[in-house]
Amino acid sequence: MSGPLNALFAWAFLVPLGPTLAFVVVGLFGRRMQRLEWGGWVAVGAAFVAMVLGVLIAIGEMLSPGTYTDRNIAWFTLPGNGTGTFPHGFSLVMGTLVDPLSAIMLIVVTVVGFLVMLYSISYMRRDAGLPRYYAELSLFLASMLGLVLADNLLQFFLFWELVGVCSYFLIGFYYQRPAAASAAKEAFLVTRVGDVLFLGGIFIYFQQFATAGPAPGWAASGFLFVHHGIPFLALLHPSNPTLFTVAGLLILGGAAGKSAQFPLDVWLPDAMEGPTTVSALIHAATMVAAGVYLLAITSVFIGFSSTDLLVIVAIGGFTAFWAASMAMVNRDIKRVIAYSTVSQLGYMVLAIGAGFTMVGLYHLFTHAFFKALLFLAAGAVIHAVETQDLFKMGGLRKTMKITSIGFLIGGLSLAGIPPLAGFFSKDDVLSSVYTAAQTHPLYWPFYVLALLTVFMTAYYIFRVWFLTFSGEHPRDPTLPHAHDAPWTMTVPIVVLSALAVLAGALVFVPQFGGLFAAGVGFPATPGVPPTYTTTDILLSSLSVGLGVGGILTAYVLWGNGRVFALPESSGAQPIRRLLLERYYVKVGVDWFGRRVVYTVARFFDFVDEYVIDGTIHGFERLFSDLSIRLRRIQSGIVLDYAAYVIVGLAVFLVFLYLIVPAIPALGGG
Amino acid sequence: MTDLPLAGFLALSAVLLGVGLFGILTRRNFILLLIAIEVAMNSAILNFVVFGSYWGTVPTHGLEGQSVAVVLVGLAATEVAVGLAIVLALNRLRGSINVAEATVLKL
Repeated sequence: MSGPLNALFAWAFLVPLGPTLAFVVVGLFGRRMQRLEWGGWVAVGAAFVAMVLGVLIAIGEMLSPGTYTDRNIAWFTLPGNGTGTFPHGFSLVMGTLVDPLSAIMLIVVTVVGFLVMLYSISYMRRDAGLPRYYAELSLFLASMLGLVLADNLLQFFLFWELVGVCSYFLIGFYYQRPAAASAAKEAFLVTRVGDVLFLGGIFIYFQQFATAGPAPGWAASGFLFVHHGIPFLALLHPSNPTLFTVAGLLILGGAAGKSAQFPLDVWLPDAMEGPTTVSALIHAATMVAAGVYLLAITSVFIGFSSTDLLVIVAIGGFTAFWAASMAMVNRDIKRVIAYSTVSQLGYMVLAIGAGFTMVGLYHLFTHAFFKALLFLAAGAVIHAVETQDLFKMGGLRKTMKITSIGFLIGGLSLAGIPPLAGFFSKDDVLSSVYTAAQTHPLYWPFYVLALLTVFMTAYYIFRVWFLTFSGEHPRDPTLPHAHDAPWTMTVPIVVLSALAVLAGALVFVPQFGGLFAAGVGFPATPGVPPTYTTTDILLSSLSVGLGVGGILTAYVLWGNGRVFALPESSGAQPIRRLLLERYYVKVGVDWFGRRVVYTVARFFDFVDEYVIDGTIHGFERLFSDLSIRLRRIQSGIVLDYAAYVIVGLAVFLVFLYLIVPAIPALGGG
Repeated sequence: MTDLPLAGFLALSAVLLGVGLFGILTRRNFILLLIAIEVAMNSAILNFVVFGSYWGTVPTHGLEGQSVAVVLVGLAATEVAVGLAIVLALNRLRGSINVAEATVLKL
C-alpha cells in the first residue's frame, strides 16, 4: 500500500527542524527583532511550516493505513563478542518513525503548537523577555515533535527529558515571582521522580532484551519500535515475566510523572504559574499527553502484563475522580482547568489500561483541542480583566462574545454533550472500560469512579462558565473594562472551537478512523470508531444524563450571577476544606520535605562541612602555617643564600659518605 | 713533586677552601667577598694540579690538570671582572658596597 504522500515519510525529520532553527535564530538574534515582536513571527512561521508538513505526513499515513516507515542512522554501534552482558553488542540509533500513532500525535502537536504560537503574539505582547519566551517555546515544539517521531526507546527518552526541561523553563518564565520559580522547581522535581522510574524501566529492558526480542537482540538493534518493517510486539518473548511486570510498572511511573497521575499529580495545578499559552500548549495538549503516548507506545510495541494493566486502570480511574473533586471548589480559573486536565488524562490512562490503547489516544486527540480551547479562552479572559479569581469576574459574555462562545463550546465538549468532540471520545473510554470490566471484575470500581467523574466534570466546568460569563456585571467593580481580544487571539479560539466540535466525529471518516483501527503487525486495537449497540446507547444516555445533570446543578448554584455559599454549619464543610487543601497532599509533601528530607540533608551537610571539608581545610591550614614560617629564610641577603648553599652541600656530603654506606638497602653496609 | 705526600697538598687545599668559605660567610664588603671567593676557587684549582701530577699518565705528565687550571684561572678573571662591574653599579645605585644592604631582589 503506497499513497502519493509516502515520499514525505523519509523526510519526517524536517518537521522538528523548523522549530529547531527558530529556536537557534530567535535565541541568538531575538533581541534585534523588535519589529518581528521579538522573534514571535519567526517562531510562528516555523510552527506553520511544521504544521503543514506534519499534517501532510499524517494525511499520507491515512491514505496508506498501517504502514511503518522507519528512517534511521546508527549513531554508534558497539559490536558484541558473543559473551558478557551484551553478547550481540549494543547500538544507539537516531531516526524517525511514521506510523499511525505518530501521525495522530503529529496532528495534535503541530496544529495546537501553531495556534498557540499565533495566540502568543498578542497575549504575550506586554511581557518582557519575549525572545527567551519564543526561543524556549520553539525548542519545546521541536523536542515534542522529536519525541512524537522517535523510532526507538532511547531517543524517546532523550526528547522526553528535553520537553521536561522546556516545561521547567516556561513554568518559571516569570521567574521574578517566587510562586512561579517554586512551581517550576516543583514541576521539575516531581516529574524527575517519574523520569528516574522510567529510566529504571529502560534499564530492565536493557538487561532483559540484550539477547531477547528481534534478532540479534533488541539492544543490539537499538531499541527500535519497528524492526525491519515489523512492529516489535510481534517478536516479543519476555524471558522473565516478573521483571517484565516490574519494568511495566516503572514505565507507568514515568508516564504518571509526565502526565500528572496520582500520586505524582501535585505539580500540574501549580504549573499554572506559567503564561496561559504555555499551560495550553504544554500542560494541556502536548507534553502532559506524552505520558499517555508513552503508555500507548509501550502497550502497542512492547506490551504490559495483566498486573500492570490493573495498576494502570486503578491509577487512571482514581486520578480522574481525585482531580475532578478538587476542581469543583477551586476559585482560580486556570487551576480548575488544570485539575480538569489531570482528570481527563486519567481517562486516557484508564482506557489504555483497559486494553483499548487507541481509545485512549482518541480521547487524547479530542482533549488536546477542547482543552487548548478552554485555556486560550481563559487566557483571553485573564488578558482582559487581569485577574484569575472567578469570584471577581461575571457578566463577561456581553463584552467578550467570541471568547464566551468558545469557552462554552469547550465546556460542552469537556462535559461530553453530543455531538461535540468530547462526547464521542469520553463515551468511548467509558464503554471500553465497561467492556473490559465484563472479563475483569476488578475494573468495576474504577468504571463507577469514571462515571461519577462525568457528573463532576460537567459541574466544575460550568461553574467556571457561569461565574465568568453569566450575570449582569463583574462582581468586583474595579476590574478593567473587558473587550474581545485582537485577531491573533480570536483566530486560534475560533479554529479550536471548530476542532472541538468536529474532532470527535472525524473518526467516522474512514481514512482518519483508519489511523486508530490500523494494526498490521500487532493485534488490532478495537474501540475506534465507537460502535453503537443497544448497550452502548444505554450507557451513552447514562453518561450524557450525568453530564446534563452536572450542568443543571452548576446552573442552579451559580447561574445568572448567583453565588452559592455553603452554610458554615453544613456537614459538607469539612469536605470542602479537604478539597480546598488538596487533600493535604501538598501539606504532607511539604512536611515530608522539611522534616525528613531536610534532616537527612542536614546530616550530609554536616559530613560535607566538617568531615570532608574539615580534612581538606586542616591540610590547607597546616601548609599555610608552615609556609609562613619558612618564608622568613628568604631574606634577600646574598650571604644568607651562600650559607644555605654551604649547609646544603655539607648535608649532602654527610648523607653521601656517612649515611648511605651505613644502610645496606642503599647499597652500603 | 712526587716526593711530597698527597695529604699535604690536600690539607693546603682544604685550608684554602675553609678560609674562602669563612670569608664568604663573614665579609660584608663586596670586594672582600670577591677576594674570599677567589681564595675558595684557588683551592679547587690547586686540587686539579695536584691530582693531575699524581695520577697523570706518563706521556703528558699531568698536563691535563694544569691545562684545566689555566682555564679556571681565566674563568676566575672573568668572574672578577663581572663582580667588579656589579660592585661599581651597586656603589652608584646605593652609595655603598655592603652586600647586606643589597636586598632589592627580595619582593
